[in-house]
Amino acid sequence: MKVLIVEDEMLLAMELENEIEMAGHRVIGTAANRSEAKNTFLAERPEFAFVDIHLQDGPTGIDVGRDLAAENIPFVFVSGNIKRIPRDFAGALGAIEKPYTVNGMKNALAYISAVIEGRTELTPPASLVLAEDVELIQGGPPA
Amino acid sequence: MTDNEKRRADAQTAGDSLVAKHVREDPFAAAFKATRMPMIVTDPNQDDNPIIFCNAAFERLTGYAADEVVGRNCRLLQGPNTSRETVARIRAAIKAGTDIAVDILNYKKDGSAFWNALFLSPVRDNDDKIVYFFASQLDFTNVKSREADLAAARHRAEAEVAKHTEKLQTALSAKTLLVHEVDHRVKNNLLTMASIVKLQARITQDQDHKRILMSVLNRVEALSTVQRKLFTLDDVSRFDIADVAREMVTDLVGAIGRRDIRLTHDLQPVYVPAVKATPLALIVNELVGDAVRRGLSDGGGDIHVVVKRLNGHFLIRVEDTSIPVEVDDETAEIGRILLETSVKQVDAKMEKRVEGHHTTVDVTMLVEAPQEIAN
Repeated sequence: MKVLIVEDEMLLAMELENEIEMAGHRVIGTAANRSEAKNTFLAERPEFAFVDIHLQDGPTGIDVGRDLAAENIPFVFVSGNIKRIPRDFAGALGAIEKPYTVNGMKNALAYISAVIEGRTELTPPASLVLAEDVELIQGGPPA
Repeated sequence: MTDNEKRRADAQTAGDSLVAKHVREDPFAAAFKATRMPMIVTDPNQDDNPIIFCNAAFERLTGYAADEVVGRNCRLLQGPNTSRETVARIRAAIKAGTDIAVDILNYKKDGSAFWNALFLSPVRDNDDKIVYFFASQLDFTNVKSREADLAAARHRAEAEVAKHTEKLQTALSAKTLLVHEVDHRVKNNLLTMASIVKLQARITQDQDHKRILMSVLNRVEALSTVQRKLFTLDDVSRFDIADVAREMVTDLVGAIGRRDIRLTHDLQPVYVPAVKATPLALIVNELVGDAVRRGLSDGGGDIHVVVKRLNGHFLIRVEDTSIPVEVDDETAEIGRILLETSVKQVDAKMEKRVEGHHTTVDVTMLVEAPQEIAN
């Protein structure tokens, strides 16, 4: 699948890109702020996106998520503080908490690509907090 | 003779006749006159219910001499801050001919105010007709001011508490913000460290170097898993070691993707102080990592991971059915050192049993009673 990475730490973005490509997907771009993200996903139409919450222009990852949701592009948040995600998850499929492990990311990617392909038989891995389980992580601020 | 003078004369006469009814030795009259309790008698059958008698204690309290009050209504004791409502209640009691006990702010002759615990009661004759009103006064200004002092002190204390609570809350939210900020940075740094190692491993062509780098990455990621789980409980000082073990082993075995390595577990919440999180997570990581490595080199095997409490102790057990021979000496050595150091760090005991292809390692540790019982 075609993947967009929204992350302002270049080293982390680079290694994530590598892990995504190792799993057989294609990274169509990396964005470090909200407008870059919007330009990239409008031009490249990714099938999926990984979105960090704290970006170059502040905690705008949530807005990026809403922009993506408006375009029906599925995505997950990748953040060190998943409690900050609003309760409606801004339309995200779920969240991967930093610092993720190689195995955790690999399992999350396998699950996500299965869901995108419409396969639903897999059980979600521990490394991926699903939006529907968000109540279990004692909820973020109201949407 | 003016009306006023006449009224006063009548009141005086009434008072005199009241006194005259009592012989000099009458103990009641003597008591009335001599008591330290200020008292007056009024005559409701005269116009405006004037005072017809007051005792010496009343004179001392109010500063009025008897001839200054006799013939006048009690309202001469009222002043600017006397409660109109209280006065109305007294008037209603007099009209109804009932007793009344009220606290009223009265004024002395010199204009100074005093709190008067007034008791007023009708005196009836044999025909049940009210012939006098008797009133006693008790100056409780001191009590009242003590009450006011107490109330003021209480208000001051409450204000102080509110101020301190606000300060504490501000300090707490500042601290919470700081903890979140530091937590965020630690998480980012851990992922950056992992990324650097991953980058180096990717660039390196030498398979041995690659293997060594992945071994370092594995331990850095064990710390990452701990850091991610540190603030998930409301009580940030506690840490569920079973939660970390679950994530570690399922991620590991899931990512290996080998059907011949079968994982089962019995993981029950065991809360430990956060300071013990890292060594305990490393223990789980080394035990499971070792079993998986041996399983990978062999034809797979079953791995069973247990984390649970066991009357006063807590147990980490990893059982496997893989080949019990270490894959390579270097890998075995670092694993062994990390395991032994972590076991020593948390003051635990480790016991390893090998029976054929069945390896069991038990790590037992005393749980700290206070933290445990609280849960």
